[in-house]
Amino acid sequence: MIKIDKLVKTFGDFRAVDGLDLHVKPGEIFGFLGPNGAGKTTTVKILSGIMRPTSGTVSVAGFDIDRNPEEAKRQLAYIPDEPFVYPKLTAWEFMRFIGDIYRIPEEEQRRRIPELFELFELSGVSDGLLEGYSHGMKQKLLIASVLLRRPKVVLFDEPTVGLDPKSIRRFKNLLGEMAADGAAVFMCTHILDMAEKLCTEVGIISGGKLIARGTVKEVKAAAHSGADSSLEDVFLKITETENAENH
Amino acid sequence: MLKIIEMIRILARNKLKSAYNNMHSVRGWELVKTAALGFAGLMLLVIMYFGFHKVLKYLEEVQLIGPILSWKLTGMLLLMMFAMIIVSSIIISMTTLYYSFDLKFLFSCPLPRRAVFMDKAADTVVYSSWTLVVAILPFVLALQHVKHLDYGFAGVYLLLMIPFVMLAGAFGIFFSLIIMYAFPSSKTRDVTWVLGSLSVAFVYVMFRFAEPEKLLHPDSMQIIAQYINYLQAPTAPYFPSWWVTKAMMAWSSSNYKVFAEFAGLLAGSAAAVYAFMAWVCDFFYMRGFNGAQGSPRFRGKRSKFIEQKLIAFAPSLNIPLSLYWKDRLMVLRDAKYWSQIILIFALVSVYLFSIKQLPLDTPSVKNFICFLNITTAGFVVAAIGLRFTFPAVSMEGNCWWLMRSTPVKLETVMLEKLLVSLPSAMVIGLLLITVSNYILEADMFVSVLSTVSIIFITTGVTAMGIGFGGIFPDFRIENIHKLESSYGGFFYMVAAMAYLTLIVGIEAWPVQVHYMGGFSGPWPRWRVAGVVLCTVGFILVNFLAVWLPWRAGVKNLYRHE
Repeated sequence: MIKIDKLVKTFGDFRAVDGLDLHVKPGEIFGFLGPNGAGKTTTVKILSGIMRPTSGTVSVAGFDIDRNPEEAKRQLAYIPDEPFVYPKLTAWEFMRFIGDIYRIPEEEQRRRIPELFELFELSGVSDGLLEGYSHGMKQKLLIASVLLRRPKVVLFDEPTVGLDPKSIRRFKNLLGEMAADGAAVFMCTHILDMAEKLCTEVGIISGGKLIARGTVKEVKAAAHSGADSSLEDVFLKITETENAENH
Repeated sequence: MLKIIEMIRILARNKLKSAYNNMHSVRGWELVKTAALGFAGLMLLVIMYFGFHKVLKYLEEVQLIGPILSWKLTGMLLLMMFAMIIVSSIIISMTTLYYSFDLKFLFSCPLPRRAVFMDKAADTVVYSSWTLVVAILPFVLALQHVKHLDYGFAGVYLLLMIPFVMLAGAFGIFFSLIIMYAFPSSKTRDVTWVLGSLSVAFVYVMFRFAEPEKLLHPDSMQIIAQYINYLQAPTAPYFPSWWVTKAMMAWSSSNYKVFAEFAGLLAGSAAAVYAFMAWVCDFFYMRGFNGAQGSPRFRGKRSKFIEQKLIAFAPSLNIPLSLYWKDRLMVLRDAKYWSQIILIFALVSVYLFSIKQLPLDTPSVKNFICFLNITTAGFVVAAIGLRFTFPAVSMEGNCWWLMRSTPVKLETVMLEKLLVSLPSAMVIGLLLITVSNYILEADMFVSVLSTVSIIFITTGVTAMGIGFGGIFPDFRIENIHKLESSYGGFFYMVAAMAYLTLIVGIEAWPVQVHYMGGFSGPWPRWRVAGVVLCTVGFILVNFLAVWLPWRAGVKNLYRHE
């Protein structure tokens, strides 16, 4: 569903992503981990079509994001780390806007948008302007907009920042449901506990290079960590070793 | 009290340091641009000086009443300036006092509220008055020269301006304090902006419609005694503008006692007003500030937009139509747009009134002015485009990620932005040309030529605006005015001017032929060739003016990261 092949992205002399190879299958929840500045957000921006790769290829649901961007984007949904939305639209209008852009039939929009507002506890404020929404409310609205369009690939960059505990729980359940419906979920996160519990596979990126990947169990084994050690211990061990080798 | 003064001193020092660092960080192209703009501004002031000098010299030489006339004009000018600073300070204080980016930080610091308030009040006074003080300086220098005074006169003007602008600004600040105290909501700012713009537009239109040029023709007043009475009557005697006028008059006649009286009145009033404001601000300010932090109460309706109804008939147009209704709502709900649209309508009214007042009598001169009017109207459309069309792409701002991650072609985004801007630009362009043609009784040839030209020119400069907006996007911009003075804005205006010059240059020949005998009768070969050449040139220039920036804009947006 997501296929990244020898992906390189440079900014001047700086290689933000350096020869990345990845494959995320339908129904999989892939946790993309790494320290600040490792190349996670750059990778997810290339996957979503916001940035173009310097070299290498990225395909989403069989469509090359660089050569066939419209078709690829029709299959994916992306939620950035900062949930910027149009401040002068209401939540209802924003959802209708997304629905119209993705050609979701009007009857379906009118039926499902109120359901989604109910699910995310936005019904009471759905006719207010988004400029009055908090960070968490905007995040919930964006997640609701993803559910409206039922994409084959979902890209999240730090999806739970700003969400209240109840919404985080609901979000985790939804991730599982989306994957069960056959979507490939690609998620950048710093919350290692969530990645350990939710992700079917994780990848650790450092200095633009993928330094570990596999199931949590496989990554632990590769790092020679005990079964009782947490993903956080493994992450710190791997990234510190990598840093030491680079220096 | 001493603590407050100390804190104000620290805040002021911080501002001066920031300004100093800003000036010293200007390098390269930014330095060239600043120097060019500075030079252009200086030239404008020099031109204004010579204009004022001519008027004042003429007035001064009018027998008996000459010296009174020039002081009367000074009084009127200062009264106008006083009114403009009040209106500006109302609009500006709404932002500086309640929405400045650093307010939350300042309130989190151990600063007395009064110090924060006084700091923001000082910002309001400076921002709302400095351009006017500079703009009136050429008048004062011309007055000084005409009345054979030394440079101390200009120095006195600058000194008197300090309490004068403080008093004018205090009106606006106090108005904001009261209105935000009574209606502590962010909606109040929007309403004030619109009302403030209406006031500015009203003052501007009224001033022009009052035909100030008639002051230069004393003979136009029926009874000369009435005219002299009018001149001798003080212009708003209880307003600080008259106190400044009296102080300047006293200084010019070396009557220092009267000067000290009026200067003292100004300084004393300013000190008293600010002491009073510092005393009451604690009571008024925080309630307004707290209210301003809330989001406006707004309940949108869930009715179907006309564009959504159209999508049902043309599903393939879902993307441009969705983008269109989104942008339409964004514009309609933004008070800043409304306030500027009001000012544009004032500008258009004054433009047409000035055309009506032109002292033209012969049909050929009128027709010639109609032809030249194509360039002026085109310039107005381009200038409005610099404010509305050029920033349209950048106005997507932080939400640009949505355009890039959804299945939307960037050509479609640009086309939709063009469709949003073009109708209003076309209305303004056509209004300026057709009404001017009607007023000046243009003949059929010039009427058709100018109308067709403005349709092409409006489309051209609007498409250029979108194209240049794509070449120079800035999605992180906080203040839209910064875009207008950016490199992109500069290049857009240069390109628009070059385009207008080419179009008028191409059209000059057929207009000349029309004047020299018209296109009637049999056409010789050279005339046919000329018309063909001009038509091809016209089409080619229009095509290139649209296509080149458009293509470069699309390419750049796809590359933009």
